[in-house]
Amino acid sequence: MKDTGEKITGLVLEIQRMSTEDGPGIRTTVFLKGCPLKCLWCHNPESINRSPQIQWLSSVCIGCGRCIEACGTGALLRGEDGIVIDREKCIACGACTEACPSGAIELMGKRWGVKELADELVKDEAYFRQSGGGVTISGGEVTLQHEFSAALLRELKERGISTAIDTCGLCAGEVLESLLPHTDTVLFDLKVADPELHRKYTGTSNERIHENIIMITEYMKDHILPRELWVRTPLIPGLTATDENIREIGKFIKEKLNGRISRWELCTFNNLCRDKYLRLGIEWSLAETPLLTSEESESLYRAALDSGVLPSVIKLTGSTRVEKNAGPETAGSNKKKGRTPVC
Amino acid sequence: MGTAAEKYYNMKEPSGLSERITWLRDYYFMGNERSWNNEFTAWSTGTPWDVQFNEHTYYIVPEMYALMQTVKSSFRQSARNVKLHDRFWSWSLPERRAWFVKEVIVNYVPQEILPGDLIAGARFNVQTSLCLNKKEQKRYDRLILKARSKMKAFHDHGYGNAGATSGHLVPGHERILTMGWKGIHAELEMHYNALSQAERKGEKGAQLLAMMTAATMPRDLAAKYASLCRELAMKEKGTARREELLAMAGNLDRVPWEPPRNFWEAVQALWINHMLIMTDENYPGPGVSFGRIDQYLLPYWETSMSEGMEREFGKEILKCFWVHCNTAYDAMIRNGNQGITAGFGQLITLSGLGKEGRDMTNDLTYAILDVIDEMSPILEPKPNVRLHKNSPEKLLNRCVEMVASCQGAPFLLNFDERSMAGMILEGRLAGIEHLVNSSNVHDYAPVGCLENTMVGNDRSGTVDNNINLLKAVELVMGGGRDILPFTDPMTGKTSPLTQDGPETGDPAVFKTWEEFLYAYSRQTEYIIKRCVDLQEQSESIRAEYSPTPYLSCLVKGCAEKGLDVTRGGAEINFTTMEAVTFATTVDSLLAVKYLVFDKKACTMSELLAALKENWQGHDVLRTMAKNRAPKYGRDDDEADAMASCVMDIWCSETWKHKTVSTGRQFRPGMLSWNYWAGDGFVMAASPDGRMKGEFLSNAICPSNGADINGPTSNANSVGKALGGKAVDGKGDWDGYLNRLPNGASHTITFNPSILKDPEHRGKFRAFLRGYAENGGTALQINMLDPEMLRDAQEHPQNYRHLLVRITGYNAYFVTVGRELQDEVIHRLSHSRF
Repeated sequence: MKDTGEKITGLVLEIQRMSTEDGPGIRTTVFLKGCPLKCLWCHNPESINRSPQIQWLSSVCIGCGRCIEACGTGALLRGEDGIVIDREKCIACGACTEACPSGAIELMGKRWGVKELADELVKDEAYFRQSGGGVTISGGEVTLQHEFSAALLRELKERGISTAIDTCGLCAGEVLESLLPHTDTVLFDLKVADPELHRKYTGTSNERIHENIIMITEYMKDHILPRELWVRTPLIPGLTATDENIREIGKFIKEKLNGRISRWELCTFNNLCRDKYLRLGIEWSLAETPLLTSEESESLYRAALDSGVLPSVIKLTGSTRVEKNAGPETAGSNKKKGRTPVC
Repeated sequence: MGTAAEKYYNMKEPSGLSERITWLRDYYFMGNERSWNNEFTAWSTGTPWDVQFNEHTYYIVPEMYALMQTVKSSFRQSARNVKLHDRFWSWSLPERRAWFVKEVIVNYVPQEILPGDLIAGARFNVQTSLCLNKKEQKRYDRLILKARSKMKAFHDHGYGNAGATSGHLVPGHERILTMGWKGIHAELEMHYNALSQAERKGEKGAQLLAMMTAATMPRDLAAKYASLCRELAMKEKGTARREELLAMAGNLDRVPWEPPRNFWEAVQALWINHMLIMTDENYPGPGVSFGRIDQYLLPYWETSMSEGMEREFGKEILKCFWVHCNTAYDAMIRNGNQGITAGFGQLITLSGLGKEGRDMTNDLTYAILDVIDEMSPILEPKPNVRLHKNSPEKLLNRCVEMVASCQGAPFLLNFDERSMAGMILEGRLAGIEHLVNSSNVHDYAPVGCLENTMVGNDRSGTVDNNINLLKAVELVMGGGRDILPFTDPMTGKTSPLTQDGPETGDPAVFKTWEEFLYAYSRQTEYIIKRCVDLQEQSESIRAEYSPTPYLSCLVKGCAEKGLDVTRGGAEINFTTMEAVTFATTVDSLLAVKYLVFDKKACTMSELLAALKENWQGHDVLRTMAKNRAPKYGRDDDEADAMASCVMDIWCSETWKHKTVSTGRQFRPGMLSWNYWAGDGFVMAASPDGRMKGEFLSNAICPSNGADINGPTSNANSVGKALGGKAVDGKGDWDGYLNRLPNGASHTITFNPSILKDPEHRGKFRAFLRGYAENGGTALQINMLDPEMLRDAQEHPQNYRHLLVRITGYNAYFVTVGRELQDEVIHRLSHSRF
């Protein structure tokens, strides 16, 4: 079967080795650029935009000004606190990145060919094999670059690598379907059960998303691949992290997904990405949102259990609030932690 | 259930210890407040020229250089006289030494037993007379002064260090246990009787007579301890303790002279046999390693278990043994506890492959792991667990659970396939396939930390030669001279630059990278030869003046050849060239190639000027060198090819040399001890962007912070540098290649979140299995600690690539704002991810 794998390229944000959070086993995750959703809580805001972008890392910059000299469009200026990027003028040509001696100016989004990228992704084959892991294509959104994604998945499968896609589920059904024959595990986000709230928080209704996940469970009935479907729900304080939302998502899983789910991950929110927003010059409404307390996350976990989804598939992951009055542990102190959240 | 995110890891505390062991352990950790300790006592022949301190053993410890004369004098001053045998001065040196050491430990050093202790053998740290007559001492003093000054110059100019060092081998414990000293003595007699009359009067005869004297030392010491046990039993009011003391007396009546019959006897015998090596060498333990203790003690363990020994009592015996090992540190106890910062390396080996690819994990392996877990944190004996492709999941699981509870590994991990491939290589290159081959290589065991050797017949000088590969890069830059003149910090005197290395020409006129690389290989030849010559200085002094007849009894080959182990008596006699600064060297070459030849970001003269000025005023160039030039350790095939190239050059040079005085073949390894830190202040700035005063790279590890692609890519780079797998599938062991028979120290720092729940611990086990396929010979697992992150806050430039992972969120720590950094540190302090 001849394909166009040679010619297709994809816009890749980052490759992360030894990822332990993006599917079974030890994985290499490739983050693609571009996402159709605009979730208020997005942890990788640099992945939303479909074109390359530059960012400036102040802690790495030595202030030599070579980037400014190299810029052909006058998009870089020396401001009070360092380099200021005029995003109107920047064409993300990468001239500044090339000139920068320290790596303080980063070009986010690099074009890769399928074979070339696959060569890079298979380097941890031994660890994949030992752990039941493989490669996960994440984003951004995997389906936005579906031709590239399909070619890459096919290439990886031909090389005997187990594959996963991590999708928000918002795309044409046939686009998603085109990836399934080459995918071992689908990680599928169900963020908000209520269509209106979904629109409010992510910019889009969830109807298409629901249709697509149902389509996957139908597809799995008479295909070997995908072997597994995981649902992931981010627990965002005040938004998705309500008992009602979790119960409703659970109800949807139980009633609509034909018992095809092998895992439902509830991922607690952390706000560590707020610096990313700062660097991209984007206001982030959740910057000051505190983490869930352990009581809150336990309550959400119970709501998930109450929804009737098989308890063995429900997993609570992520961080909860650190109770700082507990003080640092010292040798020999097995004292109970204080429970008053201060953070 | 369910709420997996909540898990606390507290500081590791000992657990499950009996009252006896709790007391012994706590007492040990009272340090110099104890009324009993095992500090050095010094002993003299009473002659005015007498010396105890054998300084060449400390040439590999640069911190000692300024103190050599002081230490020597203070032992001399405090030394008590020993009444000599009437014929003492008529004997050969080995006989004098054997008699003297035995006399001191049996009749002068007091025997003591701590309350509740189940193992006898307390004080063993001594500094005994070199036993030289006036003429010998005069010559020794002259030779040592010469060696000392050469050694100091070598270190001052940043080459590294070298010296004939004690310890660092696995003695033939199994053989001694099986035969008893009685059997060894009989063998020595047999060898002696087989000599001609002329040979008996010669060096061979003298050596065997000395070894026979030494072989009775454990018997006579055990007899003293047996009487002491009985004495204490008489005074003892508690029945249980009285019975223990009488049982100990019974054990000592038998062992180590006769072979042990049960576990308690075996551990008692092993302890005396081991501690007397430290007595014989006047050396408190570093690298005096036990080998595969869970294999050779297993028959005794099984016998005792079948005879009704309680498992807990067996562990209690081992725990007493553990406490004894730690008392080695008492040697210089009045200097404070600073010595107790790193394992001395009385290394034990657990598990690993056996014949026909069988896994040798057994009940005793797990019992010993329990002992380690229950005693931890404690430093000695240092454990090394041998893993391989078919290690049982149960063992891996136990190891990973221990790593999780200790927030870092309480042991080193050795990887059999890669290690054994290196051992097979050494057998072939040294022409000793009859001693190391595919049918016996599984018997290998690491020494000290991870230095692989065969067992009971092998002394491979695993810490004797420490060469800074980076020096060759500096010499290329200087055309065979240092790039800066040396100023002695003590005298303030500056010595002029001299043409030390070969004249490889002014690098500024090199037109191609290949010219530079050729010059680098010429200078590497030079630095290795210079290290070999330096080692010869102390190697030859030791061979002439520092026999260790007791240790020679424990090393196969010495009795057969009638040759002391210090003279090359062992069947296998390597001396190991341990390369330091590997990644700094590779990265420096990559930087020269990138900056000068590929990108033409600067000229060679500009780069040289930057190095001479310690990068001051060359910020842009330095930043490029650090951040833009390729680096080893990222699984980047091009950069890793440079690593391979460096490896080939220095390894093939190393194999060209042998010691002159003792005929020991040099073999390559990578163990950096703490030199990578200390020598960072000695060596000039390097082309990789490192300033003078910054750390060099450690052993085979990538440069600090260079491994931006995480643990798997780091491990893959290391495996490739060692040789990877054979393209044709026919490696030296199971498809594996390994250029470093000694092995290579490799440390990876992990985020504690990798161990947060059973699922992740499963992934970590899989990582270890992947490492066995792709990685190096040995791995030390560290967990990211809050202290390091606090340092990163203060010095972000040193931690540019430090990646922090918190459930799916990843960020370079230094790119995160201060407030969030604080939160990450706070989380880490509680290991709550």
